[in-house]
Amino acid sequence: MDAFNNLGLGFSVAFEPMNLLFVFVGVIIGTAIGVLPGLGPTATIALLLPITYTMDATSAVIMLAGIYYGSMYGGTITSVLLRIPGEAASVVTTFDGYQMTKQGRAGPALGISAIGSFIGGTVAIIGLTFLAPLLAQVAVAVGPASYVAIMVLGLFLVTSLGTGSTMKSLCMAAIGLLLSTVGQDPITGTARFTFGIPSLLGGFDFVAIAMGLFGVGQLLHSLERTEKAQAITTKIKNIWPSRKDFRDSSGAIARGSLLGFVIGVLPGGGGVISSLASYALEKRRAKDPSRFGKGAIEGVAGPETANNASSTSAFIPLLILGIPSNVVLAMLYGALLLQGITPGPSLIEDRPDIFWGVIASMYIGNVMLVILNIPLIGIFIQMLRVRTGILATFALMVVMVGVYSINNNPFDMWVVLIFGVFGWIMIKTGFDPGPLVLAFILGPILERSFRQSMLISDGSFGIFVTDPISATIFGALAVSLTYSFISRRRRVKAAQTLSRVSVDAK
Amino acid sequence: MSEDTLEAVQVAEPAPFATAGRYQGRFRLVPVVLLATGVAAVIGSWRLGLGELTNPGPGLWPLVVSIAVSISAAILTVIPDIEAYEKWTRRTTLLMGGVLSLVVFILLFTAIGFVVPAFLLLLFWLRVFGEESWRLALTLAGGGTAVFYVGFAVLLGVPFPDDIAAGTITRLIGM
Repeated sequence: MDAFNNLGLGFSVAFEPMNLLFVFVGVIIGTAIGVLPGLGPTATIALLLPITYTMDATSAVIMLAGIYYGSMYGGTITSVLLRIPGEAASVVTTFDGYQMTKQGRAGPALGISAIGSFIGGTVAIIGLTFLAPLLAQVAVAVGPASYVAIMVLGLFLVTSLGTGSTMKSLCMAAIGLLLSTVGQDPITGTARFTFGIPSLLGGFDFVAIAMGLFGVGQLLHSLERTEKAQAITTKIKNIWPSRKDFRDSSGAIARGSLLGFVIGVLPGGGGVISSLASYALEKRRAKDPSRFGKGAIEGVAGPETANNASSTSAFIPLLILGIPSNVVLAMLYGALLLQGITPGPSLIEDRPDIFWGVIASMYIGNVMLVILNIPLIGIFIQMLRVRTGILATFALMVVMVGVYSINNNPFDMWVVLIFGVFGWIMIKTGFDPGPLVLAFILGPILERSFRQSMLISDGSFGIFVTDPISATIFGALAVSLTYSFISRRRRVKAAQTLSRVSVDAK
Repeated sequence: MSEDTLEAVQVAEPAPFATAGRYQGRFRLVPVVLLATGVAAVIGSWRLGLGELTNPGPGLWPLVVSIAVSISAAILTVIPDIEAYEKWTRRTTLLMGGVLSLVVFILLFTAIGFVVPAFLLLLFWLRVFGEESWRLALTLAGGGTAVFYVGFAVLLGVPFPDDIAAGTITRLIGM
């Protein structure tokens, strides 16, 4: 089998001592930041981007990927123990996980999450191993018009499925696209929106924007809240779930793995959506849905499995199409670009060492994580004692020095600070910085594909209808937009009639 | 996306002032700024030259994008979304001081190098925002500065601007 040869190559890369070390460092940092308040995977990867710049490309991606899926494990711990989701995908875990803690079952909740995460992650990696080469063959034939459609779909899903106002997210995505046009025009070389500042000719630095919005913005915001670190009083025992727990959650874990994998592959998928979907599915399937929210172990096992499966399978669109489907993966995409590597259909041929090395490292990372999260969980719980003020201060210094070190230019420090203040204002006014950063990354690819489509079609927009993939996507988008518009109108009308009726009744 | 879901969950209770009519204006402030940006960008793109669809000029794509900015910002101006706004507290004002300290840090860093400004910034943040004791703040700031200097300037070889403090020390040792 070809897959086994490929994996062999992958493992030979992943088992190099340096790479083993970086998987380990990645999953440790990932678990830690999942536990620590105020720092999510996005902010952490943003902080570390300048450091990865000096590393070997494979090691860098291996480490950053480890942080990403490691944070999915770590975020569970605070959700279960304190009802504080360490990262967004663990929000769902707070529903039943915290209830289990109150019933003295914190151990099994954490145990089943770690086991579910391991199974979900591993199933997704196996899927990735066998599907990726097939998909890559298909992806080579994907034309620019389809690319435009896939990216529009991805941006659309991220803005509409995220939390908060869709219109705000759309506006932020548009701002991100606009920011990405700053600098020289890729074809004619004309300076666009540079206002005569030479440092802007190369465009805004992705790292500076990401570190500003996610790093500084988030840090400023986390300092604004004065809450003190919470002490853990819960004694954690019986972390290995009982036979009954396993029986109760085995179905949820199996369904979560599949569901997570499928959702992760979709543009805009991964993380939160998959865990929400899994929770909804388990609740619907349950014989007694009223147990949910009161400490049902399936409500912990399913979503935790699904979020790990989806965060792994989300690497498929990133590595094969070169399209990051969520913000954390956009950061990874940025890290690859910094290394001079453009992910896309040819990556698997051109740099099999990176492609298969990263995949193989995920098998290793998942084994490490299950070990870290079951016997060694006590150590991570101790990290909850770190105070936000100290953490934020040092993280801020890492941002400042880190961004300077990319180009050894104080100009980037100003960019970070300005975007940091923007980011802070955005959080305070309910604008999500995620779509902005994702759109900023997608902007140049989108523009290039759009221009190529126009060249191929001789300036006719018909290409978006004749291309089967783009026709399907745009068609589906149009249908769903119309549907949501009509149903909203109907709801508004119904509400109006209702109020009129009640007024008349008086 | 990720962190903000967290915010949304934690700040679930709607701000009480959101309903008060006279505060409506503040919710339009950001959309109006965005709208102005969008319109300015439309004009800017136009000036860059649109070219033709078969041969797009540098301004065509920016025009498409800035129209999208303008439309979405215009909708937000007309129908402001007031749910996710957070309150402006005393601590928010305090944080403006934090931003100012970063401005001073960058200026000093460019002028006199890393060591002194870094120590002062760490001390200021630990003491004011971390509310740590003087002793802990001084120790952490001193230790932190040393670790950052050794890590970045010595080990990673990042060329910091000429440093008065580190320069003096190395000169004294060198003598």
